[in-house]
Amino acid sequence: MTTPPQGNRFGFKDLGIGIGLRTVHYPHILSTWPKIDWFEVLSENYLDTGGRPAWVLDQVAERYPVALHGVSMSIGSTDPLNREHLRKLKALADRTKAHWVSDHLCWTGVLGRNTHDLLPMPYTEEALAHTIRRAKQVSEILERPLVLENPSSYVEFKGSSMPEWVFLARLAEEADCGLLLDVNNVYVSSFNHRFDPVKYIDAIPADRVVQYHLAGHTNKGTHIIDTHSDHAIDEVWDLYALSCRRTGLVATLYEWDDDIPAFDVVVAEARKAEAFRKAVSAPDRRGPAPRRPAMSAL
Amino acid sequence: MRLASLQRWMQAVVVHPGTTAEALRSREARAHLKPARLESVLLPSKTLSAAQRIAIYQEMYPLRMRDALASDYPGLEHFLGPRFWDFVTAYTKAHPSMGYTLNRLGDQVPAFLARQKALKPAGFLRDLARLELAITESFDSPQADLLSAEDLEAMAPARLGRARLLTAPSLRLVSLEWNAGAYLDTVRDEKHDHPRPRRSRSFTAVVRRNYSVYRFPLSEAAFLVLTDLQDGCSIASSVERAMGRRGSRRAAAEDFAGWFRTWTAEGVFSGIRRGRASAP
Repeated sequence: MTTPPQGNRFGFKDLGIGIGLRTVHYPHILSTWPKIDWFEVLSENYLDTGGRPAWVLDQVAERYPVALHGVSMSIGSTDPLNREHLRKLKALADRTKAHWVSDHLCWTGVLGRNTHDLLPMPYTEEALAHTIRRAKQVSEILERPLVLENPSSYVEFKGSSMPEWVFLARLAEEADCGLLLDVNNVYVSSFNHRFDPVKYIDAIPADRVVQYHLAGHTNKGTHIIDTHSDHAIDEVWDLYALSCRRTGLVATLYEWDDDIPAFDVVVAEARKAEAFRKAVSAPDRRGPAPRRPAMSAL
Repeated sequence: MRLASLQRWMQAVVVHPGTTAEALRSREARAHLKPARLESVLLPSKTLSAAQRIAIYQEMYPLRMRDALASDYPGLEHFLGPRFWDFVTAYTKAHPSMGYTLNRLGDQVPAFLARQKALKPAGFLRDLARLELAITESFDSPQADLLSAEDLEAMAPARLGRARLLTAPSLRLVSLEWNAGAYLDTVRDEKHDHPRPRRSRSFTAVVRRNYSVYRFPLSEAAFLVLTDLQDGCSIASSVERAMGRRGSRRAAAEDFAGWFRTWTAEGVFSGIRRGRASAP
């Protein structure tokens, strides 16, 4: 019998299986307080409002564990860090007793502008040193380790001198960051850039993974767009199963952000993760056998 | 290419409102990279050229801006119909998002529309935008406890005149020259029975109560009294000023009890700052 890996180096809890807190689900959540392990909260939606979103978040945070997930930290941007944003983010994390604060390995704008897109980094030594320096600063300001998510991307830079997984692993080690491993993003980028997603998963420092993201995407034939608008495909679940074997039980979240169905549909999709988690927590019990995703699909 | 230059080039391409070819040829993009050298920065894939790959980002940018503005300005989107796209393009070029949230993207829409000549009827559109901005501002305003009728009645009459009523942070007072409020009322109306734009003077209070935003009409005299109170005037001076005005701007003594009762019930006030007792 093999012993499953235990925990991450930060001591962040395995919160179980959660979903994103979304406006369309507010009435259902507030009227039923449904059984779900935890919620992920899109930070920027709650930083500058004193209205209903803030009130709902406070109600949710009183009853469920939450983690904050942002889209505008722009950790890779060559603009200065937005300290007002970080100060508010810390206050929100303190208020909601967020288990951790995550954002994306990306940049969202320069020259003071925000495109509100998760734009990809070139994987160069210059970009790595720049991002490490900023990630350390952010962790200091937030007074907690920053957790960064691998992006999905649609372009590759000719100047990149290392693959994304090496960049991410080095960044995490040298800036002492946690990782939010989005296995759908790994799949999307592996399709778009024709790399082996298993190689990516195997290169990630397992003890730094504090959260998983799972989601659906839209395959356009020539490329895949990370739309978060559907069920996850089998290949993504296979990657999740493979990665769980390396990391042990880690908080897992299903993202559904476009064409959002009823709360119970999203939760049912998220709960598919349960079978893979059981296989990790009790390897001798019968569970879905991890498969190597069919590379022919890529 | 250095990181800073690469990011400035990519942003210039992504936010350009034209085709990708035009974006790559734009002055802002060419300052960092000549179009012919595109593949020295971006790799093609087996299925897409380098230009097609960056086009994915460039095509998503206006959709994101449109969704954000449509969310805050549903009336404007409804009225402009297909012209809303041109509006979004022109607006985001003049006022790109400079913050970490899209919630503030539309803050300059009323001012922007005031400068536009092509979009008509200009006065109606500006009023519609002002009203919709007031609603989103009210929605996001800080939460505050509201003054109850009992709180107001508990104050000794001798002190009431000098007291200042604190208006709720969510209160927005909007005077309109066009029938923008009536139009906005019908935007979600499936019968599509929308009034045609016409000049029609009206006064509206926008306020949030129990985390929902409400609008209620005001007379001009009541609007001016609430404006004075919001500006920090004492109750006595607001009443005095209101009774000293002329025509439709003038309030009668008997108006005030009903107004204050209604406004308190609507959640207009968040507190009362006591004044000194009047001399006997």
